[in-house]
Amino acid sequence: MRKNGRFRFFRQFFTIAVTAAMLVFLSVPGTFAGQIKELKIAIGVDADTLNPQEQTTTLFQNICDLIFDGMYFQDPQGKLHPRLLEKHTISDDGLTWTLHIRKGVKFSDGLPLNADVIKQTWDRVLNPKLRVPLRFAISMVKGCEKVDDHTVKLNMKYPFAPFDATISMALVSPISPAAIEKYGDDVRQHPVGAGPYKLKEWVKGDRIVLARNENYWGKAPTVDQLTFKIVPEATTREAMLRTGQIDVCYKPLPSNVASLKKLSNVTVDMPLDTRTIFMGLNCLKGATTNKKVRQAFNYAIDKKAIVNRILFNTAQPMDGPVSPKVFGYAKMDYQYDYNPEKAKQLLKEAKFDFSKTINMRTPNGRYLFDKQVAEVVQAQLQAIGVKVELRTYDWPTYVAGLLKPIEETELEVFLLGWGPLFLDADMALYGQFTSEVNPPKGLGSSFYTNAAYDEIMKESRKAQDPNKRFDLLKEASSIIWEDCPWIWLHVEKFVLAYSSNIKGMVVTPTEKFYPNHITME
Amino acid sequence: MINFLLKRLLSIIPVLLGISLLLFFMLRMLPGDPAQVLAGQMASPEDIEMIRTQLGLDQPVYIQYAAFLKRLVHLDLGRSARTQNPVTQEIWARLPNTILLALCAITLACAFGIPAGIIAAVRPYSWVDYLVTLASLIGISMPVFWLGIMMMILFSMTLNWLPAGGIGTWKHLIMPSFTLAAFVVAFIARMTRSSMLEVLSQDYVTTARSKGLQENLIIVKHALKNALIPIITVVGLQFGMLLGGAVLTETVFAWPGIGRLIVDSILARDYAMIQGTILIFGLLYTLINLLVDLIYAFVDPRIRYE
Repeated sequence: MRKNGRFRFFRQFFTIAVTAAMLVFLSVPGTFAGQIKELKIAIGVDADTLNPQEQTTTLFQNICDLIFDGMYFQDPQGKLHPRLLEKHTISDDGLTWTLHIRKGVKFSDGLPLNADVIKQTWDRVLNPKLRVPLRFAISMVKGCEKVDDHTVKLNMKYPFAPFDATISMALVSPISPAAIEKYGDDVRQHPVGAGPYKLKEWVKGDRIVLARNENYWGKAPTVDQLTFKIVPEATTREAMLRTGQIDVCYKPLPSNVASLKKLSNVTVDMPLDTRTIFMGLNCLKGATTNKKVRQAFNYAIDKKAIVNRILFNTAQPMDGPVSPKVFGYAKMDYQYDYNPEKAKQLLKEAKFDFSKTINMRTPNGRYLFDKQVAEVVQAQLQAIGVKVELRTYDWPTYVAGLLKPIEETELEVFLLGWGPLFLDADMALYGQFTSEVNPPKGLGSSFYTNAAYDEIMKESRKAQDPNKRFDLLKEASSIIWEDCPWIWLHVEKFVLAYSSNIKGMVVTPTEKFYPNHITME
Repeated sequence: MINFLLKRLLSIIPVLLGISLLLFFMLRMLPGDPAQVLAGQMASPEDIEMIRTQLGLDQPVYIQYAAFLKRLVHLDLGRSARTQNPVTQEIWARLPNTILLALCAITLACAFGIPAGIIAAVRPYSWVDYLVTLASLIGISMPVFWLGIMMMILFSMTLNWLPAGGIGTWKHLIMPSFTLAAFVVAFIARMTRSSMLEVLSQDYVTTARSKGLQENLIIVKHALKNALIPIITVVGLQFGMLLGGAVLTETVFAWPGIGRLIVDSILARDYAMIQGTILIFGLLYTLINLLVDLIYAFVDPRIRYE
């Protein structure tokens, strides 16, 4: 009898336990094995706006991508994957692009994404009254027309072959029309998109919290909540990663990368970036108008030493005018390896006036060790007998000086960085070296002017065949490589450190990372 | 008393006006264009011009100032150029954090500084006195940045007792408050010491001693009370400093306060935000000064405000 009672008790207990376990399991919809509750990411600054049309900072374009999703997604290899668009077709003259919108996509507020929304998005991006700082990137678009519920047509001012990669940018990600209507301009505080996440909480100066979007059309992310903690000091971010207070550390100090790599519980990802750092040389005014002088300056600088000794190998010397990560990159046939003797020889041939002082400028704190890099360049130019005076500026002052027209410009030698926003050489080769972008119209502050070069770059924009376009970009690269409007310094690396039990993090050369589908052991 | 208070409160207005005027024109003399910084490196000249118009920066400076004053009357500090949010909203989101941290730091600093100063004064030129002097010297000379990181290495990374940064629990408060207090405690200890030394040599202390009063009682009741005025002054000034000068501590410990907001705003040439935060600091500083004056009267009945 007693034995029987005990057995009954166990059976009852067992039943209750199983039922309870099932109830718990069933009451948490969408939770399954491998689901991660929260991923904590430490970043350096708070967002100014989460309106993708207004954003200029890669990190927040990254967060916008998570909230809004893009028309296309460009993976780290440069391949485009359809997202909000299924595909596109281009007319033979390259002047009409037809975009086919994915069916069944809903915003996180439940509103459907259709041709009207996409047209509204293009109208907003093109509207000169709205603040769209990156508008230049889509300035070839004349206007957008609705074709049917899931198709729109874009009319172009001129053919632009890399336009498909262009629209992978958050710049043209659609915002829910209901949110625009409800919040007006303040939609930047209340972003509503069709991406895998939605904004849950934004505590100014402290954190931005994203939660999974239950209405997302695509593959559900494995992380329920992404918390971006704002930790301005890189050392503190690193300490928080080491102590497990956070899972992902955005841009740790380059000087600490080596020691982080040695830790068994930390993974350091550092893909090559699209951003190149260079010393611009004024091609229209002053001592650097002579090509031989510009080449001499290139031979005078030990770029490998800069990368090794100053940047702790978080960069790589340039071996072509663009980053190896972009389409159109080709390693150049000859390199300007460190050779002070050759530099002196070239200066002699150019009848360089050694009595004159060259004026060099650098921003301070804008790029990794920018001032220190400029100091090395100064020292190495002085080593071949060139007198150089170096001045440092904070960024707002510096950038104001960059945009002055040739008559007013004081620029002779100046440090700058240029990072194409998607993986294509056009933004660098066209956006820095065509005569069209000479200041004040653009930031081609070297004032490089070459009609033949301009012609090749225009041709490349028309070339819809990738092979043909590649050849043209390579040809343009060779011309510019020889003419040296820059001292070709280095390509930066994007450093992301995270807990080593995270697998499957997608880190891109445009300084973005996507933890949507990670797994944790 | 009420009259005094009213007069003092009214006198804050010209002070703030002075600050705003100076600041307004000084900011606009700085090189660099907010519109350009906002638009980013790649923007076209038309878009930069459009942003400049939106921000009202195409207007002459005196018109901009008039508009600023007009808004100020309605307690509107304008909108941040960078985030386009009302400046008051951005400040409100962070000010409580700054005040909390400053209060904790000043409490800690008093709790350590005043006793240390008293002990040093009671046994002048003894080893205790030298120890306090040495500790003060170290406290003043230690860069906040360095101390913060050292504490982080010890208490977060090695011992794993405290979080390295951020806000949330009382544990998050400990390291930033101590770091801030380390600097202030030195000032308070030194001021307490010298003020106490002066008082302890007064005749009434000698009288009290000759009456046979207990030494403890003499120090706390007779001497300290009379030595308090300069100490309160220093505490008040330091508290004002803490409100505005915690930038480094806030940065090191990822404390979302006002200091960091100011630095970011200056780097972006966000005029409205810089003006707003500095004005708020000016206001807080004058209010603290007023409070200190009121405490004087409370501590020393001879001080009366008519």
